[in-house]
Amino acid sequence: MQRITIDPLTRLEGHGKIEIFLDDAGDVANAYLQVPELRGFERFCVGRPVEEMPVLTNRICGVCPEAHHMAAAKAADAVYGVTPPPAAKKLRELLYSAFFFADHTTHFFILGGPDFIMGPDTPVAERNILGVIRKVGLEIGGKVIQARKYGHTTVEIIGGRKVHPCTAVPGGMTKAISEDERKEIEKMGRWAVEFGQFALQVFHDMVLGNPEYLALILGDAYTHKTYYMGLVDANNKVNFYDGKVRIVGPDGTLHGMYAPNDYTDWIAERVEPWSYLKFPYLKKVGWKGFADGAESGVYMATPLSRLNVSDGMATRWPRPNMRSSSPPWASRPIAAWPSTGRA
Amino acid sequence: MSKPKFAMYWASACGGCEIAVLNIDEKILDLDANFEVAFWPAAMDVKYKEVEAMDDESILVTLFNGSIRTDENEHMAHLLRRKSKLLVAFGSCANEGCIPGLANLSPREGIFECAYTSPSTENPDHLRPRSAWQAPEGTLTLTPLQSVVRTLDQVVEVDYHVPGCPPESHQIAAVLDVLIAVVKGEAELPPKGAVLGAGDSTVCDECTRKRDIKRISKLSRIQELPMLNTEDCLLEQGLMCSGPATRSGCNSRCPNVGAPCIGCYGAAPGVLDQGARLMTAIASVVDEKEPAAIDKVLDGLPDPAGTFYRFSLAHSLLRANRAALAEKP
Ligand code: SF4
Ligand code: SF4
Repeated sequence: MQRITIDPLTRLEGHGKIEIFLDDAGDVANAYLQVPELRGFERFCVGRPVEEMPVLTNRICGVCPEAHHMAAAKAADAVYGVTPPPAAKKLRELLYSAFFFADHTTHFFILGGPDFIMGPDTPVAERNILGVIRKVGLEIGGKVIQARKYGHTTVEIIGGRKVHPCTAVPGGMTKAISEDERKEIEKMGRWAVEFGQFALQVFHDMVLGNPEYLALILGDAYTHKTYYMGLVDANNKVNFYDGKVRIVGPDGTLHGMYAPNDYTDWIAERVEPWSYLKFPYLKKVGWKGFADGAESGVYMATPLSRLNVSDGMATRWPRPNMRSSSPPWASRPIAAWPSTGRA
Repeated sequence: MSKPKFAMYWASACGGCEIAVLNIDEKILDLDANFEVAFWPAAMDVKYKEVEAMDDESILVTLFNGSIRTDENEHMAHLLRRKSKLLVAFGSCANEGCIPGLANLSPREGIFECAYTSPSTENPDHLRPRSAWQAPEGTLTLTPLQSVVRTLDQVVEVDYHVPGCPPESHQIAAVLDVLIAVVKGEAELPPKGAVLGAGDSTVCDECTRKRDIKRISKLSRIQELPMLNTEDCLLEQGLMCSGPATRSGCNSRCPNVGAPCIGCYGAAPGVLDQGARLMTAIASVVDEKEPAAIDKVLDGLPDPAGTFYRFSLAHSLLRANRAALAEKP
């Protein structure tokens, strides 16, 4: 059997290697994504004080430390049975939204995006952010840089640092923001909304406007019909900070909804001997191997799945004009650029 | 004339160092203007094979972040040492082992046991990742986990050190300016072994909080304390802070926002062991003489190993738990 090895995976956070096996006819017989790293947070967090968790678990991922910082802080709130005061909650939500903006900009233009903006056949030396800036020019490239800067500056004002924030503690935040800081954040936030619309336009023009890409992302190879998972508020709108975890099946029917502290009733993890990374799946459906469909417990927890589980975004801006029918968007890979991050 | 080559690599790391480099914002254009980026997995698609094929010393400078936790990490450290004229230990993992270095408090099997039999894991067959596994289609190999976390300079020779978890972006920009000046022939290389992108005192020296009483009679956890004031030293308000033993360079970022310094810039200049220095610093401010009374103050520190050696265990004099050190690598 012939084998193609891709090592390392690039333009994403974390280590990975792909082994593809081809049969005699040259078709793919099987493929494995292996994660060749384990740092042992599961072990060394045991015995450490709970208030340290927001800063220890940050280091799981330096691309999305805010996610780990918040999850750990919320877990610590729960340990003490406390609810942060409204101002602290708002600060956390604002920090998280700013992170979301910066992170998705990083993904859209620096990690995943160059495939589409530069094209998959572009030479390696150009298929990256520096190539993107050379191609789109400094005016647009400058906007991308500005967007990341505004996102990270907001995180820094509230969280103390641009990477690995340090202000969320059990029951609240260590720092308030001043009126001047609030104004600065508001200015950056308004700019960010405009930039978001610009980014959507880029996606529309460069990806949806390209028949070849469209065929690729709507094609079989790019589509996985699985269960979908995401956080929703009381109105079933997307929420990034709080709420319940909602799960729908491949056809959009409700599988279940749970409070985060009940997660072990809903999710289990499987071990495979060929990767350090475990494979989470829906416990009530069960592990049926690496298969999609309603019979298999495999699920997605991604930007796409957030849209599939919810009745929409909570913001007052209408959703982009990409959705043509009622929910779910299941299997419509509208936002399905390969997502970064790790379990 | 072709531009000198630049590389950035992550061994056992979190990716925060790469984000910190991207956070130099428009300065990234200076990097592009003065260097050819030859290898940088976070940002571009060059594969290991292509690095192996490069001439020795063909890369002018490699920023190496992450610690050495696996055979692959060690191999990459040797490979990039060979391919690079200047090898920079970049960020806390490469310099001190960082927070994941706390894994050295337990032997490897303890890590496996915790990860692969956790309450959320269903593993009736007691499976463990294996260095080689026979799949129906062929053998899959997985790099083995070594017994302990090591720092870059415990494995290969290092030319420069840039501390921080991650290094602050204004410091990275300053380091880049130095490199560019060297490339342009406008500056000399700093002396080998130099610490770049940091200060030469302690976080306390940079900290704007007032230190007056220099004595503490109680240490508390942050959730046990009443509102901390924004002016006085956190340690003097009873909160453990690593500022006294930690290298300056971040502008005392964390104390500025009401959070204690957790020590991410590593040992202060001239300090061999950050944890030991921090213990001495705390001992010297405890306002008690009797052993029993001193113990009572220290009861406010529920996790001495994790508190004093949060970032620097792997590079400390102790390095690791004895059982872990005794294991075969
Ligand atoms: S101990 Fe901490 S808060 Fe106090 S002066 Fe030093 S860095 Fe600042
Ligand atoms: S205050 Fe301490 S923990 Fe915070 S950034 Fe500076 S050195 Fe790192």
